[in-house]
Amino acid sequence: MKPQSKYRSIGKNIQRRDVLGKIKGHAKFCADLDLKDMDLKDLSLKDKSLKNPLTLRVLRSSRYHAEIENIDIEKAKAIPGVAGVFTAMDIPGKNLTGIINKDQPLLADGKVRSKADPVALVAAQTEEIAIKALEAIEVIYRDLTPILDMEDALAPDAPKIHEKGNILFVRRIKKGDADKAFKDCHTIVEKEYKTHAVEHNFIEPDAGAGYVDEDGTLVIYASTQNPHYDHKEVTGLLGLEDEQVRVIQAATGGGFGSKLDLNVQGFIGLALYHLKRPVRYVYTREESYLATAKRHPFIIHMKTGSDENGKLMAIRMKTFCNTGAYGSYGIAVATRSAVTGTGPYEIEHVDMESSCVYTNQTFSGAMRGFGAPQMAFAHESQMDLLAEKLGTDPLEIRVINGFKKGSTTGTGQKLMDSVGFQECLGAVKPYYDQASKNWMKEKISPFIKRGIGLGGMWYGIGNTGVQNPSTARIEMDQSGGITLFTGCADIGQGSTTVLTQIAGEILGVFPEEIHVVVGDTKFTTNAGATSASRQTYISGNAVKEASEKLASVLLTEGSNRLKVSKTLLEFTDHSIHVSGSPEKFVDFAWLARRIHKKGGSLSWQGYFDPETIPFDPETGQGSPYATYAFACQLALVEVDVLTGEVNVKKIVAAHDVGKAIHPENVIGQICGGVAMGVGFALMEEYEYGKTLSMKDYYIPTCADMPEVIPIIIEDNEPTGPFGAKGVGEPALIPTAPAIVNAVSNALGKRIYTLPANLERVLQASIESGQFGPSNQFDPKEKNNV
Amino acid sequence: MTDIEYIRPLNLKEALDFLWDNGEDTRIIAGGTDVMVDIRSDGLAKKYLLDISRLDELKGIELNGQELSVGAGVTISEIDSSEILETHALALKKSAFSFASRQIRNIATIGGNVAHSSPCGDTVPALLVHRAKALVADKKGTRLVPMEDMANKAYMSSLSPRDILVKFILTPYQDGFADFQKIGRRREMAVSRISLAVFAKKNNEGKISFLKIGLGACTPTPCNMEAVEFFLTGKIPTEELIWEAGSLLAKNMIEITGRRSSAIYKEPAVQGLFMRILYPMVNV
Repeated sequence: MKPQSKYRSIGKNIQRRDVLGKIKGHAKFCADLDLKDMDLKDLSLKDKSLKNPLTLRVLRSSRYHAEIENIDIEKAKAIPGVAGVFTAMDIPGKNLTGIINKDQPLLADGKVRSKADPVALVAAQTEEIAIKALEAIEVIYRDLTPILDMEDALAPDAPKIHEKGNILFVRRIKKGDADKAFKDCHTIVEKEYKTHAVEHNFIEPDAGAGYVDEDGTLVIYASTQNPHYDHKEVTGLLGLEDEQVRVIQAATGGGFGSKLDLNVQGFIGLALYHLKRPVRYVYTREESYLATAKRHPFIIHMKTGSDENGKLMAIRMKTFCNTGAYGSYGIAVATRSAVTGTGPYEIEHVDMESSCVYTNQTFSGAMRGFGAPQMAFAHESQMDLLAEKLGTDPLEIRVINGFKKGSTTGTGQKLMDSVGFQECLGAVKPYYDQASKNWMKEKISPFIKRGIGLGGMWYGIGNTGVQNPSTARIEMDQSGGITLFTGCADIGQGSTTVLTQIAGEILGVFPEEIHVVVGDTKFTTNAGATSASRQTYISGNAVKEASEKLASVLLTEGSNRLKVSKTLLEFTDHSIHVSGSPEKFVDFAWLARRIHKKGGSLSWQGYFDPETIPFDPETGQGSPYATYAFACQLALVEVDVLTGEVNVKKIVAAHDVGKAIHPENVIGQICGGVAMGVGFALMEEYEYGKTLSMKDYYIPTCADMPEVIPIIIEDNEPTGPFGAKGVGEPALIPTAPAIVNAVSNALGKRIYTLPANLERVLQASIESGQFGPSNQFDPKEKNNV
Repeated sequence: MTDIEYIRPLNLKEALDFLWDNGEDTRIIAGGTDVMVDIRSDGLAKKYLLDISRLDELKGIELNGQELSVGAGVTISEIDSSEILETHALALKKSAFSFASRQIRNIATIGGNVAHSSPCGDTVPALLVHRAKALVADKKGTRLVPMEDMANKAYMSSLSPRDILVKFILTPYQDGFADFQKIGRRREMAVSRISLAVFAKKNNEGKISFLKIGLGACTPTPCNMEAVEFFLTGKIPTEELIWEAGSLLAKNMIEITGRRSSAIYKEPAVQGLFMRILYPMVNV
């Protein structure tokens, strides 16, 4: 029998708050919002037809890199049914956006830097009219040399895409003396790795809608991962005060990082500002593919050295990541890649450098992992290569070097708590041993080669080396009802459910009984982005603090009433009772009225900002994250040596999440991450200028999914809410390296460029000498011929 | 996709009458799994959409002596679950098993797959292996068109705008080795990069006595690979021999297509897939 949990909500698989609405089709996505039902009391809207939302469309650049000499919108404006055509000149505030560095105009201001760049915005009665209007806009460009890849961007005489040059940012991390240490290394592996652009491909393309309410407030609904950031950007663009704009997160069909940028929100705001009429903008899949952020393509040069026992001594890494035309989250990606590039391994001498480079391609931004998946491909390949050179077992070399309590990271941070990497390795070991011993030796078709591979990872929870607080408010009404206000966007990952579990645990109510107000800037306060796997840990702590403050005043009042010390009181079922004497209780409604009467507060704000130490600007030393998630995945693959097809049979995924507040949700994240990892490893590749939509972009289907064995490791994080950390991104990171290592194991030939698609795997098979009739299998024999 | 008049005739005659007068202005729709995609991406420069999905005359799978007929309106799922085809045209049945996705199989038709004339149409290589002829009707009568004449080039059917595909007449095969295999970028919902259908027989000396090969997705229209059939017929299939034949297959493919950038993969992969599909012939 399992021991009884000490918690009533934490660790329970309660029904997620969003599922019924989504299953029944009641959830309102931006495309579903009926703006006619909105609160449109403005007398100027007497004409009912005005309540029909206008359709917005954007004219995008036809050039990669050009100056705009003229935009003529007169013909477009004259088309019947066109309500407005806007260019940069119509933006009343500051025409620059970007979450980390502001370099991206909402509408092109004299220059275009990619074919995704918006040049003009059209609002029209129908989509057909809007498209006609786009065609009627005349733009005169003066072409500049297009810079399509990083090599061209870095050439000494390259034209500048932005005034400051083509290198957006460089992050260096230096510890010890790598040069000297390499001289003492017994074994060194030095390789170059390349990764590709990836499309997030969430199920719901970017969308927004809005109207102007009776007070003149611009109300913007958005499919977003960060409504409070959207709010700030829109007020800045329009030069409005905070209360003049209200952003509400509509039901959001996935994000994976791309809905952190301002996609349609600015356009909705600009049209509302000028037209004061309901508007809607839903990207087509094609527009979403063209115009929203992609995963940064990387070129990684990595040198890793160890002693004769496989103990890592030094690492040098030089990385370039292609951020396209704009920064978006590029600086975070460069920084995180420099930090995580060591892998979850202790290395004394570290020399890392990540540069973020502008090109004239669609901008890159955040995507599940912020550069860590790209780095994991490199550092995990290096581990296998080292093991091979040393004749060591791949699992063993990870155990030897893997972080444990007391280890020091590349940035000089000592890991004291919740370092579950060794447990992850241990959890995978029985599967690894079993697969090596039995599965690898089963007799199968002569043209199928089996392989097993490991992928390890570590991932800092929250933003890197900067403040990234969250806030939350919890209120009790006078009937004892509880409402949680959080700016934390639930984009399908389940944060709202988890946050109510945390509040419910503290206040002794079922999570389902807590009312929630989520992602509405009129009522909620900033919880930061739903990104960096940070919401459970950071917003969870903010909710916990708010709940504890409310709990404290309730206990004080309860103690007065029940005449016992607070320490002897417990919360249950909307009441406080004396421990061990459930008949001695006082209910929430009574307490609430009492506190209110006395002038006490029933509304409490919580705040949490993880404790970090910023990077030293020269050496990159510091404590960039308060806590880290760890994971190890094992992949079992079958490779068809005749065709290059790879069949991932099984993924064993062990993840240290601190504490699983909602275990089913954690498992869901792991399985989803594995699916995305399969795509990243084998088939997904966004080709600039070529990939238009899902018809030429392959994401895995159910049929490509391996059996997934999720293993939850709970190495309690003392600063986390009930010990929790995060799992959203870690779920994806080790999958691709595990699969690629398994393919290499199967073929005896390694792939250094992702994706390991049909072409690359067949090429590796040919080079390994396994492509051919089965009786010529022994490559040595073949070479002798 | 507005301003299209939707027409659903009650029988084949009505459909043919309509097309005789309006064929040039009409797009025919059956399952719609290609037509709807085209409409969304390019619009439809036609006045009428003629829905033939419910015409009884296009339904049914029948065996009459040496004639196996498959109605043009038969869905891919119906092919996949047909016992007649399992016995007499296994390669065709297998091509249906892995066709697109379940949702598409349930509604897409074999006639649509052929008429769309995609180089990657999965049923075409198997129809070629079965030396199929299409029964094509217009208002004035019917005619038989051999499979290899069904398309002039990729996405360019040889049918006239007044024609309707009624059924396919296949040569039934029994007691031999039949298979269909394909390579895609994922396991379902993938356009075939290479597809192969084969039917082969060995005589009592262990020599290949009959062989038909249909290659799809590599050439502008799927084709029979007669040189390879000829090369292997009369020989005992060893691994080395099949490997050599696969090389010949790849060479013939390149002769048709020229050396495109995709050939870097397709040239070895065709040889590899040929080896994989015919390997069971070595020891049976």
